[in-house]
Amino acid sequence: MKKPFLVSLLLAGWFVSTGTLPAIAGDDEVLGRLQRLSSGIETLSSEFVQEKYLSVFKDMVVSRGRFCFKKPDTLRWELTKPVATGFVLKGKEGRRWHERTGLNEKFDINREPVIRIVAQQLMAWTRADFDRLRKEYRIAVISENPVTLRLDPLFGTGGFLDHLRIAFSEDGRHVKIVELREKDGDFTRIRFENTLVNQSLPDGLF
Amino acid sequence: MDVTAIIASAYRFFEERRGLLYSVTALLVLIGLLASTNIRTEENIEAMLPDGSSRIVGDFRLLQQAPFARKVIITLQAEGETGIDSLTAAADRLAVSLDPALFKDVTTGPDTHMHGRLLVWIEEALPSILNADDLEIIAADLAGDGVPRRLGESYELLLGPEGWAMKDMIRRDPFSLYKMGLEKLRHVNLVPQMKLVDNHFVSADGKSVMLIAETPVKMTDSAGSRNLVTAFNKAVKTEIPVGMRATMVSGHQYTLANAEAVKGDLWRILTASTLAILALFVVFMRSLRASLVFLLPLAVICIAAVAVSLFFPMVSALTIGFGGVLLGITVDYGIHVYFAMRRGDALSHVMAGRVARPVIFGGLTTLAAFAVLLFSDLPGTRQIAVFSIAGICTALLLSLLVLPHLMVPAKESENDAAGNRWMSWIGRRRCLVLAVWIFLVVLCGWQAAYLKFNGDLRHMSLVPPELAADEKNLRTTWGDFRGQAMIWIESPDAEQAFALNGRLFSFLRKELSSPFVTLAPLLPSDEEQRANRTRWSDFWQGKKGQRILADLRVQAAAMGFSANAFTPFENALHGPLKPVTLKGIQEAGLGRLAESLVMIQDGKTSLLTLAPDQQGLPELVEKQFSDGVRVVSQSRFRREISDAIGDDFLRFFLLSLVTVGLFLVILFRWSRKALVAAAPALTGVVMMMGIMGALGLELNIFNVVAGILVVGLGIDYGIFMVCMLTGKVDHSTSKAVLVSGLTTLAGFGSLVLARHPALHSIGLSVLLGIGGAIITALLVVPALLNDKMEPEQG
Repeated sequence: MKKPFLVSLLLAGWFVSTGTLPAIAGDDEVLGRLQRLSSGIETLSSEFVQEKYLSVFKDMVVSRGRFCFKKPDTLRWELTKPVATGFVLKGKEGRRWHERTGLNEKFDINREPVIRIVAQQLMAWTRADFDRLRKEYRIAVISENPVTLRLDPLFGTGGFLDHLRIAFSEDGRHVKIVELREKDGDFTRIRFENTLVNQSLPDGLF
Repeated sequence: MDVTAIIASAYRFFEERRGLLYSVTALLVLIGLLASTNIRTEENIEAMLPDGSSRIVGDFRLLQQAPFARKVIITLQAEGETGIDSLTAAADRLAVSLDPALFKDVTTGPDTHMHGRLLVWIEEALPSILNADDLEIIAADLAGDGVPRRLGESYELLLGPEGWAMKDMIRRDPFSLYKMGLEKLRHVNLVPQMKLVDNHFVSADGKSVMLIAETPVKMTDSAGSRNLVTAFNKAVKTEIPVGMRATMVSGHQYTLANAEAVKGDLWRILTASTLAILALFVVFMRSLRASLVFLLPLAVICIAAVAVSLFFPMVSALTIGFGGVLLGITVDYGIHVYFAMRRGDALSHVMAGRVARPVIFGGLTTLAAFAVLLFSDLPGTRQIAVFSIAGICTALLLSLLVLPHLMVPAKESENDAAGNRWMSWIGRRRCLVLAVWIFLVVLCGWQAAYLKFNGDLRHMSLVPPELAADEKNLRTTWGDFRGQAMIWIESPDAEQAFALNGRLFSFLRKELSSPFVTLAPLLPSDEEQRANRTRWSDFWQGKKGQRILADLRVQAAAMGFSANAFTPFENALHGPLKPVTLKGIQEAGLGRLAESLVMIQDGKTSLLTLAPDQQGLPELVEKQFSDGVRVVSQSRFRREISDAIGDDFLRFFLLSLVTVGLFLVILFRWSRKALVAAAPALTGVVMMMGIMGALGLELNIFNVVAGILVVGLGIDYGIFMVCMLTGKVDHSTSKAVLVSGLTTLAGFGSLVLARHPALHSIGLSVLLGIGGAIITALLVVPALLNDKMEPEQG
């Protein structure tokens, strides 16, 4: 009786060790690969579909928009339907608009903490900047093909956010889906479509 | 028995007991020296504030409680194209690297978690802080298509990236009513030209970042101030890169600048005065024993300081400073005794007795002048009086009882011949001397009329140009947030205080066009809060409110919101409404602000409003609120304290003149001699004031103190010269007057070389005043008494 018990303990130990240590090394390897692939991105443009699964709405609300990025720190994020609104950011200088209200104004990113956080997140996802993301999230690879990551806020200050789920394209060069999961069960899914990498972008876009 | 006989007897008594006399004297001086090192001195201006419950004292106490009164303000400024990110990062690095023992609670921005908590607090506070006017605004905004418009905005917000974090808030407040609460926060912006960037205090132009720190270093502690400034400079050197400039503004820098200036002045003054006194010593004295005369004031100052400490628990540093200047008089008693004893034309006890009369006359006259100061309203002035009286008494005792035993007679007959030649020279030119004197006195008297008194205490200290530039830069960058007038409401009844604060807010809102700081809109009185909550409930249960809510349900459903989307909002309207409390405000992240504007101490509630220190504001507020409201205007305080100190010193300067005059009348009976004896002092004062007036200078408190010195010494010269000319003392007196005058000029006149304005003022006054007094004593007094001169005795 003693021997099988000892063997099972050893086996359990082996499973534990083989099940965890290679996984940690694997996560780093996967993240490193994504980072290398993303490092070649000079420009990126993509349409997106945003699905809001919020208890505040009767049904899921779909909105559409466009996201453009140009290295190192220029981006455009806009909704086109059902409302035309968005913002452009070039370094620290921004401009935002709202078609219905006629708003069209410049802003200083340092005075807009919400937009700043959103922009920082968008850029970090696009550039697969895991060094930065690791400061705020615990990152786990939940699927390797295609790569899907789960990002849990490191601090109790995550506010409404429970975790993020980010799925990359087959080739790992860009983000395909982002899900923001909230603590109350609500979530927002953003699906990026028709993504073009390193295509020239018209100057007027930014 | 007159003083001459008493001192002569005392000399004979101690002649045989010199060992005992020297031992007791040495012991007393030693005790004084040791005790004086243990005296606790204070270096603040409080000693110069009038006694009792005057407004100045109260204002001073309240000024100490101003939000930035005891804080160190650091401005980090970009030079060139440095971006705000680099600035805020550098500010954070600087905040961490500042020595925590010297810089406590260094803040670069508000509480980091303030934003989230504050919005929740505002939402909950709305029923208590929104008044009838605010409800009218809500009703108007949500009338017509107001509800779908506001709801549409919330819907769109939820779709955009901001909506990720604002969902719960929109459910609680679909109409964004929190913005009305944010509007009320406008009144708690302590620094007018500040904005928050990345949770940092940033200037309106985005080129400066502010750090605020507490420090345990007392504003008057010069050594501590040096450590503070050194620690700041060290941190700046290591953390602030090229392209940025960090400046610190606090009272400590003034303390340090003044201490450094005095230190820098000292070697220059000491060198000049030592060389001058050495020259006088070589020319006139040439005796090692003469050096004992110069040690006299040192012993006197120690003993006088101990005497003051017996009467006052804390000795003001100003007392030691001013008193030390005034005790410059005491060296003269020693000089007169020295020359009288050196003469050697009679037995020692006779010589000691002979010089006693003018020395005691001079001493008593000066004592009388200082005794008047005992009746001052300013504790500091009373300390100066005690210091001077104790010092003069000690100096008289040491000069007349001890010093004569230490002097060796030396026949100096050539003095008599020179003295006689001098007198006859003046006798021949009497009319010319008197004519020139009268002309100069009239001329200076005329110019003195143009002399203005400036009692501003700021002129007492040195303000280096770079510090003045930093102050100016601080005002330009952030607005004059440190110079605002304070309006205090104090009451043992907190509710009454808050109610009054609310009325004051309404009044100022009507009267002032510029922004002011108050907590009143965010923290109304309990009664007002109750009334607001009742109105709030009535509004939402009333016709208008019910229509809005009905509209909300219909529009929400039409836009695709779920049925319970705004249940939190409706629940809050019908649920229990919480009052706003000070604790709640503090927990919302406005703790530091609340502590600055509300103080609860000893069962008394004090509420502060800060308003621009504009002309007429104090009178306007005080007229409207006769009771319970107190305006502390910094400009008015400066004016009043300057006036109080200036009036006090000027009053006592004039009273001293009157007292000295009375004493002269008593000493010389009602005779011309009394007037003549007063001539050097009066001429000295008139010349001092006249030349200053002609040069366009202003008279300050230091000139007045030095003026008292001029009066004290001038009177002594007058008394000695009159006594000499009327045969009471010998011709060595004129030499003693000359030497004592020149010694004073060397010792105090050299202060004119100082960079520090206070020392420079004293030096200038002494130079002009004593210069005039010496010339008058040696030339004019003999000319005035030419017909009264008695032949030299023996």
